[in-house]
Amino acid sequence: MTAFIYGLLAVIGLFIFFNLGKVKASKKQTNRNDRINYANPPWRRKNAKSKSSNQDQGSSNIIEGKAEEIKNEDKD
Amino acid sequence: MSKHAALDRFGRSGNPVFGNKFDASQTVTDTNTMSLNGAVNKTGILLALCFCSAIFTWNNPIPTLMWTGMIGGFIVAIYTSFVPKNAGITAPIYAILKGFALGAISVFFEREYPGIAIQAIGLTFGTLAALLFFYKSGIIKPTENFRLMIFSATAAVCILYIINLLMYAFGANQIGFIHDSGFFGIAFSLFVVSIAALNLVLDFDFIEQGSENGLPKYMEWYGAFALMVTLVWLYLEILRLLAKLRR
Repeated sequence: MTAFIYGLLAVIGLFIFFNLGKVKASKKQTNRNDRINYANPPWRRKNAKSKSSNQDQGSSNIIEGKAEEIKNEDKD
Repeated sequence: MSKHAALDRFGRSGNPVFGNKFDASQTVTDTNTMSLNGAVNKTGILLALCFCSAIFTWNNPIPTLMWTGMIGGFIVAIYTSFVPKNAGITAPIYAILKGFALGAISVFFEREYPGIAIQAIGLTFGTLAALLFFYKSGIIKPTENFRLMIFSATAAVCILYIINLLMYAFGANQIGFIHDSGFFGIAFSLFVVSIAALNLVLDFDFIEQGSENGLPKYMEWYGAFALMVTLVWLYLEILRLLAKLRR
């Protein structure tokens, strides 16, 4: 009897899997902002962030070249 | 010159078969992308292959075949996870090899505890159906934190098993609570079964997102393979848990 019950459970489980598996998940599941991003996992995002911040540090706003004094006469 | 040169020359077909079906506004679905249907059908194929090879070793429990299935399956699984493009070939091989291993392991458990194999099969597929329902209905929502939690717990269990295996190989005492049928042994098994079951949710989410984003067709095999790996693990852990409960 126990074997029959567990066998039935296996059959019902498989039946549910083959039917429900082909149905799209509910909107509650798919329309979320916190879904897993498989293409860009968090550890890759961290590396990309640190790389970009290193690049930002390397490129300063100072323009290299010869400094020239600005005279008030020129302005006028 | 007319844009519809063929229509001008041959006229419109009067064949009723083309009547309503030949509608230019209908979109053509791309058959080269991953779909839920394909992934579920491929999981069915893998389960059938695994079941067939398991029946063979169930009737002829040869230890060599069991070890070939265990070690060969492990190697094929590692290869498939790094080269998903070949999953169409390697996933069925994995299913057959794991079937050999599972059939023989189940027989050894069945001799000790009669009726345990069908209980484990029932509970495995029952868990699969229940978690699929929870996932599809949005009751369980996998997030990045959820994934990190499951990933770290799975890695912890894996490291513990490797340490246990090494201790066994070098003749030292194995880690007690992994095999004990006491309170800690059963609690540990329950924890591992829960982790294996929650891995199913990640597999469902991967397949769902893969079909939404139109991943290549071979990813259907990869998704089915991922589901298969988790199901094999879940089955083995349920088998161990039931054995501990019966001791």
